[in-house]
Amino acid sequence: MRARIRRHHEDVLRTFSGCPPWSSAAGRELVYTLILPLAVGVGLVHLVLVLFGVLTTVNLIGVPLLALSLVAARGLGTVNRRLARVLLGVPITDPAPFRPGRGLFRWIGAALTDATGWRAVAHALLRLPAAALAFAAAAGLWGGGLVLLASPLWRGWPGAALLSPAGLVLLLLAPSGLRLALAPERLLARTLLGMSANEARIRRLERARAFAADDAVARLRQVERDLHDGTSARLVTLAMTLGLAREELDLGHLERARPLVEGAHRDAKETMAELRDLIRGMLPPALDQGLETALATLAARTPMPVRLDADLPERPDPSIEAVAYFCAAELLANVVRHSGARHASADVRGRDGRLTLVVRDDGAGGAVTGAGSGLRGLAARTGAVDGTVDVRSPAGGPTVITVALPLHI
Amino acid sequence: MRIVIAEDAAMLRDGLRMLLTARGHDVVAAVGDGEALRAAVAEHEPDVAVVDVRMPPSHTDEGLRAAIRIRRDHPDVGVLVFSQYVETRYAAQLLAEGAHGVGYLLKERVADVADFLAALDRIADGETVLDPEVVTQIMGASRRVETLATLSSRERDVLALMAEGRSNSAIASALFLSYGSVEKHVSQIFAKLGLPPSDHDHRRVLAVLRHLQA
Repeated sequence: MRARIRRHHEDVLRTFSGCPPWSSAAGRELVYTLILPLAVGVGLVHLVLVLFGVLTTVNLIGVPLLALSLVAARGLGTVNRRLARVLLGVPITDPAPFRPGRGLFRWIGAALTDATGWRAVAHALLRLPAAALAFAAAAGLWGGGLVLLASPLWRGWPGAALLSPAGLVLLLLAPSGLRLALAPERLLARTLLGMSANEARIRRLERARAFAADDAVARLRQVERDLHDGTSARLVTLAMTLGLAREELDLGHLERARPLVEGAHRDAKETMAELRDLIRGMLPPALDQGLETALATLAARTPMPVRLDADLPERPDPSIEAVAYFCAAELLANVVRHSGARHASADVRGRDGRLTLVVRDDGAGGAVTGAGSGLRGLAARTGAVDGTVDVRSPAGGPTVITVALPLHI
Repeated sequence: MRIVIAEDAAMLRDGLRMLLTARGHDVVAAVGDGEALRAAVAEHEPDVAVVDVRMPPSHTDEGLRAAIRIRRDHPDVGVLVFSQYVETRYAAQLLAEGAHGVGYLLKERVADVADFLAALDRIADGETVLDPEVVTQIMGASRRVETLATLSSRERDVLALMAEGRSNSAIASALFLSYGSVEKHVSQIFAKLGLPPSDHDHRRVLAVLRHLQA
């Protein structure tokens, strides 16, 4: 999300900042504008086809024609999307591919209800004024500039002495002007040719669901392994030692039985401690009393001074509490392991339906959300409940990590 | 008895070594994975190898696969597969190579030290030892329920003990029956299941298992 906002921000910046006429971006935009009449022309022909299809739907012939032209609109949309992506540098995600069912009727049905196709048609229509604006700007600024610059060729002195510098000024303004005039084209391409908001949301949810499913299995597997390799092996050993001790007692060897019983006693205590840690790792019992209590326990257990500040007027859903708790645990563990910090703080707030967890430390900074880092897992886990993670960790510190979650799912 | 232990949990490995040493056995090697186990068996040719099913690196059935290889490469080495839980498929794979000197026991059986040591002795002598839990599961999972249904409940008790690898006299004392009546039950079972009688305990087990799993 943040990346998207930043990219948009850069777009806007680029639009308004001047750039020299010889820059390659200016060149690409000019090429785009010069191709525009062709793209618009093809779009117009296609629009006529769609219109014809719509008008003839009263006959049965119109229906397949309309379906066909909508699928063709997708193709046209793809071409326009690539042009905008390569020449205008607009970041557009590809929409989901056309997946009709089996059989002619399903194919026609899918084509007629294909949002991507209809949006491409809308693009062909709505872009007409946008393209006209861009083309007019290009003609006026680049064309006019060149013509004026060349005025000595077609007009005598002294007129040319005035016109020629004016042409130069126009040419210098041309890149910024054209960029500005292309803004509507950019906007239309972004909103109509890319993945629709719904599609993007579905894709995000699909990813989140896949993660949640994998994560659940991975956690179960981990618990199973911990129980199998840890607790269970300890209990078997314990039972074996007690079995030996019983045999010694049966034989009246009190002195041989004593060390065995002592060992078993020690094993039993260690097993209990291990089991307690394991249980806490699954879901801390303190969460029953709320996130605040659980975080206070966590802060107290962290081997570093942690200042906790919690303000939760409304209790979040249990699943949100669990995610927030595990985020805090992971982040504080990272602070202890990697940051070299001397102090850390954790703030939790619940406002306007959002839960915000901010973990700060005064350590070395330089935390990255790279592959294999715990932060990535964190981002995926929060993403699964529609949350976000924001990492600010300049080299030299301090590190501030903000986890935002919905209070309720 | 010379014994090799393969168990990845260090605590249990040391515990087993202590137990076996205390009972006068010679633990010639104690290792933590399948590769090391096969190397140790090749080097020491022990009387019995005690093998944990789940070991690194895959933590799935490393030990079982190593055990099967050992039974193929070193037929004289008895193998006791030692597992946290019962998998009838594991038991079947283990016995597929023949039921001579092989055992499959739940780890918790080690708590009854005497029984555990007796099982090791039997395996070293070439007998078969199956955990009662394995037998119960196999009998429960058998698709030939209708065949089993023809057995009387007493005959089923006898069959279960047979499947554990007990001899007729052991069955007799376990069920408080006379040796003669156990013999009668056994031949009844063989007759009802359509198996030719045999003198060898481990063949009986194999036959019973194969029949039940068919």
